Amino acid sequence: MQKVIETLLIGLSTGSIYALMSLALVLVWRSTRVVNFAQAGQAMLSTYIGFEIASRSEIFWLGLVFAIAAGALVGAGVDYFFMRVLFKHAISGPAAVVAPVIATLGLLGLIRSIVGLTWGGEFKSIDAPASTDGFTVGDGTIPFSNLDVLIIATVSIILIVVAYIFQRTNLGLALRASAYAPEIAQLAGIKTAQTRTIGWSIAGAVGGVAGMLITSNNFLTPYSLDLLLVFGFIAAVIGGLESMVGSVIGALVLGIGLTFILNYVGTSLVFIGGFSVLILVLLIKPDGIMAKGKARRA
Amino acid sequence: MELWQKARPAVRKKIAIFVLIGWVLLIIGDRVDELRVYQGAQMAMYTIALASIVLLTGYSGQVSLGNGAMMAVGGYGAALTLNNLGSPIWFAFLMAIVTASLFGALLGAAAARVSGPYLAGTTLALAVGLPAIANQFAFLGGEPGLLFDVGFPPERFGDEFTQYKWFFWIASFIALVALFITSNILSSRFGRTWRAIRGNSLAAELCGVHSSRMKVLAFTVSSGLAGLAGAVLAMTISLVAPGAYGLALSFALVTGAVLAGISSLPGVVLGAFILVVIPEISVALADRLGDADKLNNYLPGLIVSVLLILSVIFTPNGPGENLRKHRHKKPAH
Amino acid sequence: MIRKTRIKRTWLAAAVIASGSLLATALPANAETGVSASEIKLGITLPLTGAASPGYSKIGNAMDAYFKYVNDNGGVYGRKVTLIQKNDEYSPQLSIAKTNELILRDKVFALVGPLGTANFTAVHKSVGLAKRKVPALFLNTGFSGFSNKKSYPSSFMILPSYAMEAKIIAQFLKENHAGKKLGIVYQNDEFGIDGLGAFKAAGTKFDVSIPYTSGTQSAATAQTWVSQLAAGGAQVVVFFGVTSATAPLLAVAAAAKYAPQWILGSVGSDPLTLRALGVPVAVLNGAQTPAGNPSPNDTSDEYVKQFQEINTKYNAGTAFDDYVLQGMNIGLMTVQALRAAGKNLTRKRLVRAMETKGSTFASVAYSPLGFSRTSNVGHTGYYMAVMDANGDRKPFGGSVTLYTTDSGSGPVVKSTFKRPAMPAKGLPSNS
Repeated sequence: MQKVIETLLIGLSTGSIYALMSLALVLVWRSTRVVNFAQAGQAMLSTYIGFEIASRSEIFWLGLVFAIAAGALVGAGVDYFFMRVLFKHAISGPAAVVAPVIATLGLLGLIRSIVGLTWGGEFKSIDAPASTDGFTVGDGTIPFSNLDVLIIATVSIILIVVAYIFQRTNLGLALRASAYAPEIAQLAGIKTAQTRTIGWSIAGAVGGVAGMLITSNNFLTPYSLDLLLVFGFIAAVIGGLESMVGSVIGALVLGIGLTFILNYVGTSLVFIGGFSVLILVLLIKPDGIMAKGKARRA
Repeated sequence: MELWQKARPAVRKKIAIFVLIGWVLLIIGDRVDELRVYQGAQMAMYTIALASIVLLTGYSGQVSLGNGAMMAVGGYGAALTLNNLGSPIWFAFLMAIVTASLFGALLGAAAARVSGPYLAGTTLALAVGLPAIANQFAFLGGEPGLLFDVGFPPERFGDEFTQYKWFFWIASFIALVALFITSNILSSRFGRTWRAIRGNSLAAELCGVHSSRMKVLAFTVSSGLAGLAGAVLAMTISLVAPGAYGLALSFALVTGAVLAGISSLPGVVLGAFILVVIPEISVALADRLGDADKLNNYLPGLIVSVLLILSVIFTPNGPGENLRKHRHKKPAH
Repeated sequence: MIRKTRIKRTWLAAAVIASGSLLATALPANAETGVSASEIKLGITLPLTGAASPGYSKIGNAMDAYFKYVNDNGGVYGRKVTLIQKNDEYSPQLSIAKTNELILRDKVFALVGPLGTANFTAVHKSVGLAKRKVPALFLNTGFSGFSNKKSYPSSFMILPSYAMEAKIIAQFLKENHAGKKLGIVYQNDEFGIDGLGAFKAAGTKFDVSIPYTSGTQSAATAQTWVSQLAAGGAQVVVFFGVTSATAPLLAVAAAAKYAPQWILGSVGSDPLTLRALGVPVAVLNGAQTPAGNPSPNDTSDEYVKQFQEINTKYNAGTAFDDYVLQGMNIGLMTVQALRAAGKNLTRKRLVRAMETKGSTFASVAYSPLGFSRTSNVGHTGYYMAVMDANGDRKPFGGSVTLYTTDSGSGPVVKSTFKRPAMPAKGLPSNS
């Protein structure tokens, strides 16, 4: 029984970090209709910047603030300098379908190489902002620590803030409108291009938080966020790329599920598990668990 | 000779060209040093791998980033056949095609319902996760992998005939045959049907084309090609290990394909050339700039990424397309 | 018609590119590859980045620093020694690709200190080192299979094999931890299995046995190891893996308040690197480990003192630890080997020199060297050490008790071997 509770709790903590990444992916999708694989690269860059600040000042929270700011800036920059140029040029021919996908992948590789050239590939670590000692329950210790509580709390706050922005503010309305019906939005006076940039900015900031949180208990290398990207994507697909709530639920489910596999079966099956879930969802309900049923086209 | 009589003039010309290329490669193989011969074998491998992408993405319009994973399936299939059944090499290569095609058919069936970024993301997940899958099963050799030994060159070639030259011969031969067959498939009604689906699948269906069946077929054939390339790769390093088929490979392949013209089969030679040359350039650059290790680790990745981005933005359909647009300034019809 | 011409033209263009790309001038034959009147080129493949790089990445620069020191003092019979490092990220097929570069493009004379069991196995087979007769000196791996002279005619080890290490640990367990519940965590490839096999042969029974796949080590997976070890009640835990796996294991165990007696295998036990990876010193205190060299902080040892000076001068900025010590020692032995091969330096003579004179070389390690016409074996023994509250390593029992053995069924014996004195100023003058 204890093991089940342990696994559940750890899964919740891991899943909430995936939730941030999948949220960022959904944000960009809903505001640009592009799946941004470079999200991991942006998050990585933001995390390295956060790491620099955190290790110099020895204050994690300062590093986090800088990571958020960096994430926002990088996100805006990517949209402004990169995506707009892309959409202007690559609009015809057989590659039109392929181009945005490949371009964001290329961007991921580019950011990774720049990070590697600047910081090198050695393992770096950030001191966690809270103790990683497990809680003592009765005789034993469960591997759920203050840090995990902190992670869940931080993620929840961010989710509430983002949801509020999207559902209750004019900005959120503009974001949603610009994605779904750009011409009509423009007729209504919304500056769609600018709005889109803001959307990317928010996504970038959220990604930065995800990167900082997951690194606080792990090592930082130019490759350490790859798995986060994959699981974030799977979570977004499970929940449905159209739905923010769905992607969060998908992420939590994924996190808990994978932790169960990790604890009860073995390390290497974790990835197969995740991949199988992805295939299953795509086969059975390609729009995701929360979607209302529309063909999943690009 | 019967075949020659029956073949149409166009096909005869094609056969002649391929034989000519084969001859040229034979002569070159004798004249250059071992490093170049080895790189020649790698080039041959890349042409086969890129051909699989041209078929899948350029012709049938499906974006897959998991070609590296399909190559792995082929590589493992060949190694397991060679090591456990003691079969001749050609059979091992054949099994590489068969196993990869099977997996491709499965993946295609799952993928037929999705497209665009979903397909890309799913195949990306496959590419990232394949090493983990290979590590899980003991018979796949884990991280260090399985040995893949095609044996020494025949004794009658003499002592000077190095192992790498033997690889070059085998790889080039396989590449020529594979490209020939692929070229025929693409110019047949299969190729035309795929392009129709890519262009407008609704219209194609109205014309009686079974769109999802053809898509799965595209995945199957393309994966078979990729598997063959994977076996050739295994031959050149005498090893099948998960690290050889990782994300970096899938990335490089996509880059090569886009650069060379994603729907141009002859372009795969250019693409393969670029893929082999990039590490050379980056080593030379790194030596020039100093601080070798850091640069050497990330410079190739940087060059590949920059090339990819530039080519996707400016020549998404390959440089051939741009040249054509430039020359024929006629309105599109 | 136009389209057909264009297609034909494209294929011909492809043929031209294919040919043009492969043309290169044939190279003139050289006296001996990698040796010129002024230079000897050596190559090494090791993980400079990636999951296994913490710690090991320092070895190359340490070797290089030593070579620079020797070059500044006359080199080897007037020739400078140049070391070319290639990063293989601990991945076997990258090792193959990089070794191909070293041998075919950089045309090195010999490989020195290539790191990794699976890596060298792959390289030796794929690149055909035996057929090419390229010497590989002082492998940075202890896999006992490499001591087989028939399969590896021109390769030479330096570290005691993992089988030897396991036998010595097994003896230590019998003498000092009899009756306790034992656990083992090991890397699930030839490296770890080499050790496990020897433990079995020595009769050690582990109550908890946990393999891990190289590359999967992380805080999350370490969590599962600790749960299993704690659940099994293991009081003594042996660890046979790389440093980047030791770190999460120890850190997670500390967080879970699980504190068995740790016995860390020599490969993954450098205290400085572990601390850099976040392992608190309190956890290291009391951990036991087999060691072959004196502690890198022991400046009363003549080798350590000299190497530290060289490090300060030629490798400034790098803290002196086990790996730097190891790298410099390999450098020292390499120069002795090159000198012993004579002024007319060829690959054949290098191999012959190792076989006939190698066992007399000066080395910082305490145990005797086993090189001979029939054996590739380097050092043959360990002493047990304990880490103290400062993360320093001290001999168990107060003074060094050296044990030697073989990789087979030979006994583990206490040895009274005295290692050769260090050549003056760390500059060999042997021939």
